Amino acid sequence: MVKDTSLFGIFRKENDQPHQLGPMQRLDVPMRHYTDADVVDVVVVGVGSAGGVLVQRLAKAGWRVVGLEAGPFWDTERDWVSDEAGSHNLYWNDLRITGGKDPLALGANNSGKGVGGGSVHWAGFTPRFHPSDFRVYREDGIGADWPISYEDVKPYYELLEREIPVAGPAYYPWGDPHGYIYGPHPLGQVGAVLVNGCTTLGIRSVAGGPVAILSGSHGDRPHCIYRGFCIQGCKVGAKQSTLISHVPDAVAHGAEIRANAMAARINLGNDGRVTGVTYFDHAGQERCQRAKLVIISGYAIETPRLLLNSATTGYPQGLANSSGTVGRYLMAQAGNVILGRFDEPVRMYKAPPAHALTEEFYETDRRRDFARGFSIQTVGPLPIAFAKQMMVAKGAWGWGLREVMMDYNHWSALGLLGEILPWADNRVTLATETDQFGLPVAHAHFDLHDNDHKLIEFGKNTVMEVMRAAGAQEIVQEPRYAHLIGGARMGNDPATSVVDGWGRTHDIPNLFICDGSIFPTQGAANPGLTIQALAARTADYLITLGAEAAAFRPGHTVMPPLRTELSPAQTTGRGVPRLTSRTPNVHIGLGGLAPGGKA
Amino acid sequence: MAVKTGDWVHGAWQLGRFAWRSTRHRRTLAPTLVRDSVSVVQHIREGRFQRSLALIAAFAGLLGGVEVTSEHYRGSYGQRVMYTPVILGPLLGIAGVLGAINRRAARTLLPLASCLMLGDGVLGFFFHIRGVARKPGGWRIPVFNIVMGPPLFAPLLLGIGGFLGIIASLLRREDDPIHELAWGTRWHRRPAWVEALPRRLTREGFVVGQDIREGRFQRILAGATALSALLNGAEALYSHYKNRFSYRIQWSPILLSPAIIAAGLGAIWSKQVARTWLPIVSALALLDGAVGFGYHLRGGLRHHPGGIKQPLHMVMYGPPLFAPLLYAATGFIGLLASLLRRAD
Amino acid sequence: MNKRKHRHADLDAELSSPDLDCQPIDPQTGQPLPLRAQVGYYPGYQTLRQQRFWDAATRDVVMRRMHEVPPIRFFTLAEARQLAAVAARIIPQDDRELAYRIPIVPWIDERLHSGRIDGYRYEGMPADGEAHRLGLQAINDIARALHDKDFIDLTPPPQEGILRTLHDDNPPAGHAIWARMPVQRYWMLLVQDCIEVYYAHPFAWDEIGYGGPAYPRGYMRLQHGQPEPWEKDEVRYSWRAPKWSVSQEYTPLGGGHDTITPGQEGTH
Repeated sequence: MVKDTSLFGIFRKENDQPHQLGPMQRLDVPMRHYTDADVVDVVVVGVGSAGGVLVQRLAKAGWRVVGLEAGPFWDTERDWVSDEAGSHNLYWNDLRITGGKDPLALGANNSGKGVGGGSVHWAGFTPRFHPSDFRVYREDGIGADWPISYEDVKPYYELLEREIPVAGPAYYPWGDPHGYIYGPHPLGQVGAVLVNGCTTLGIRSVAGGPVAILSGSHGDRPHCIYRGFCIQGCKVGAKQSTLISHVPDAVAHGAEIRANAMAARINLGNDGRVTGVTYFDHAGQERCQRAKLVIISGYAIETPRLLLNSATTGYPQGLANSSGTVGRYLMAQAGNVILGRFDEPVRMYKAPPAHALTEEFYETDRRRDFARGFSIQTVGPLPIAFAKQMMVAKGAWGWGLREVMMDYNHWSALGLLGEILPWADNRVTLATETDQFGLPVAHAHFDLHDNDHKLIEFGKNTVMEVMRAAGAQEIVQEPRYAHLIGGARMGNDPATSVVDGWGRTHDIPNLFICDGSIFPTQGAANPGLTIQALAARTADYLITLGAEAAAFRPGHTVMPPLRTELSPAQTTGRGVPRLTSRTPNVHIGLGGLAPGGKA
Repeated sequence: MAVKTGDWVHGAWQLGRFAWRSTRHRRTLAPTLVRDSVSVVQHIREGRFQRSLALIAAFAGLLGGVEVTSEHYRGSYGQRVMYTPVILGPLLGIAGVLGAINRRAARTLLPLASCLMLGDGVLGFFFHIRGVARKPGGWRIPVFNIVMGPPLFAPLLLGIGGFLGIIASLLRREDDPIHELAWGTRWHRRPAWVEALPRRLTREGFVVGQDIREGRFQRILAGATALSALLNGAEALYSHYKNRFSYRIQWSPILLSPAIIAAGLGAIWSKQVARTWLPIVSALALLDGAVGFGYHLRGGLRHHPGGIKQPLHMVMYGPPLFAPLLYAATGFIGLLASLLRRAD
Repeated sequence: MNKRKHRHADLDAELSSPDLDCQPIDPQTGQPLPLRAQVGYYPGYQTLRQQRFWDAATRDVVMRRMHEVPPIRFFTLAEARQLAAVAARIIPQDDRELAYRIPIVPWIDERLHSGRIDGYRYEGMPADGEAHRLGLQAINDIARALHDKDFIDLTPPPQEGILRTLHDDNPPAGHAIWARMPVQRYWMLLVQDCIEVYYAHPFAWDEIGYGGPAYPRGYMRLQHGQPEPWEKDEVRYSWRAPKWSVSQEYTPLGGGHDTITPGQEGTH
């Protein structure tokens, strides 16, 4: 890549090939480069789902922005392959230690490394959280409340659904009912299994979305070709990642994306404010980028790890950790995969893994003996993933493994997505092991609690019923987790949370956190859309504060307007008209202007 | 070949007269029907069917509008230009209905809306070609990208509705006197833009216009039939190929289309073909379209996820309901062509 | 198709000459099935024939997988031989013609040599490479304890029996090693590593009728399991594992819930 010392460099590879972000999309603009001497307005640590949106918004508003990304700046045509085993490098594969009674599997598919982060390999389901997700404790007496409400996030849901854009049904009946900007996708056979099973049982389902996958072309991004490689990185450019939807706009507006730069610690000045980020550059050299404001967007494991690794005199237990909450309330969703064998062939490798779901069991049901609920979604494991599932689900190995794999095309898979509640003992700490830079790696401790066990048991059995109703002869299941959430949660009380409703850390006014780690609870919805929506919301807040963003004046509240003008080009003027709802507890427009922190 | 007895129209005419005579003293519905059908044939021969053709163009516009609305919804209206046929289809529908009611609308609004529709069809054709080119792999993997890209010929099929509307606007009305003077002679005021055109071109245009007015445009309509069959056949080929020809009946439009194309082209050269083969294959196309509509309806009801309990999925995931009707429209145009007179 | 030229003379165990006793049998006749160049229910289906429809980067990766089998660098020769014998029971290939067997150990060795991991390690587990070394030792300990022979010198039936004790989380020997790493975690590491190599290979895709790479050309027939024009319909034949085999019984993993690794290979 270009030298860091040059102010402007053409964003090209050494061989002078243009940087491809899809078959047609190119990144062909000069990228701004800041030097170590520059004090930029903001450093965003981690250019993933949240970081990509943040750098785009802030750069377009005229801020001097540097995005530090531990992984590479992908050229999708050269770096990504249409192959299951060959896509291993999209994930965060550096060492982490996992433990507890029900340890999380990390790495593959729950955190990404490289520009675009996890959005590069998410399956692309983009349901919104339900209004009830923001007040779990008030309603169920368990879990936690958010300092913000659904109405605060709703305008940003609508905005991001246009920016991504999200394809889905014209009417989505759950939570706050709404419609989608792009039309639904055709169904693969796995989707047909879900819809057939649910319909037989009288369970409502939706088909063809909501997913961050194009069902019609969008500028220089072609629509989906139904090849089923969503979680291996979409070479087509149909599935959104911030790499292709927001980062090009960020670069065009003067943001610097510094790839292969691993943040080591956040530096603290004598005045109790952060001064910048120390990182290891692509050559392994320790460098420092000074900034007026730092936003950490490292996701549920790396964000707490960075805060803990930044411990310094005066802050022995890590930055922004006066509450001792950093790393705590780590969550994952129950992601059991239920596999059913059908007499007729299924060929589940076709069509996007994500394309039909039901949220009929999402909310707390008083008739059940546990709080909160789950969703049922389509999944489409490719052969390696399927073989690993069969090893657990059926106890397959040897000739048995060969035999069941020869029936691969007869199996269909549905995924449970169950809400696991936040528990203080599920946490990220530092391990004794260190990584290639000598930085202590993260240790993730995870136990399931009573409510979680009951929910998983009930959910698993429900999905199996759906599978049976769809006509499967043999049904097995594999326990697993999906999505990481929490570790630096938001809240109004500085004694029990790390950041406020805008992502500002309670302890340090010019240190923000913005990613999945700040969620107090996680719902039974895939978090990607909410992460991006909250990033746009935090960006609007910062832009409204302007030069005062790095300061903190107690009692001073702002109500940032929704800045649709900061959307990437081509966001408006396309797509189908959406249905918007006016349910009693949801008010359009005004809700988005309410200040945070009123709960 | 039944060439000698092939004067289909003449046969129908004789049959009608016979039926008319043998039933003239009975007060039943049948003689009225026969008399009406005979006069319909007479009107078509003489180009006095503006009102019916305007209605048919309106129907085509509305049907096409519904079809393109759902098809472009599947394509998410990712480009602004995708809204145009959704607006123009109903516009043609309104213009056609007005044209059937009102003589003035038939000569002003109808040709305008029809020209827009036809132009949009051609424009759409180019956008759909571009759409295939912009899919990953583009024209290097033509089979896959034609099947999975925007349907190449669908815009031109919509354009045929516009074409019918233009023809309708040039015809005489059913209640016109037989000897009305032609449009474009001094009895009619010519628009300024017509005056601006080269003299030779306008004269040529008037001759064609006059031929159409008098029902002497069999060749034009036979050619249109052949084109429509080609487009419809191609559409059926790649969409049935996508579905792997799961039912043998899916081959029928693909096998029938070449016959219609041959008959349509043959009718341009030969009056005999126009009166024998063209009506036969056209009738088959009508039948095939009706059968296809039944199968598509059945497929929609039965074979989409969720079955009859999920009626909305039928629209999204069932076979395209109206596509067979467009095929039937080809047959209709062919039958119309066979009834017309030739320019010479 | 060109026969694969590669041979690892040091991995004889993996590519041992065909042994009739190890072949799957026809349940009707009880006779061993003949060796096939292509096993599975999709005769004549070859993903590699579609490679002109793949993008260059993908073709590059898959063809390297086909033709550039790496040398053994992490394991010692003896370890590699033993692991090959183990892998030959975890994913038996006795029904394949020799030239069409998929090499497994070189790729596991390559992963460990380059230090590639899946992004995490369970607490209480040694690093992957050490876990493999310890596991091989423990397996050999079991072989010596039960049969007084090295694992590699045993015939497939007792070899399967030994691996079955790991699957059941009930190994009769090697306790010193199992005290350092849970049996079930090692077993899953081992099986997963074999799976990752075998089902990444085009021959395995042909076997199970999987479509393989799909860019820039995707799929058009999404429903009812219909094959694409270039794919094949299923032609099933009945077979079952050799009579002595215990690996076709599908018994649940031993060790109970607490030690079962939650699957992590991406689904959602």
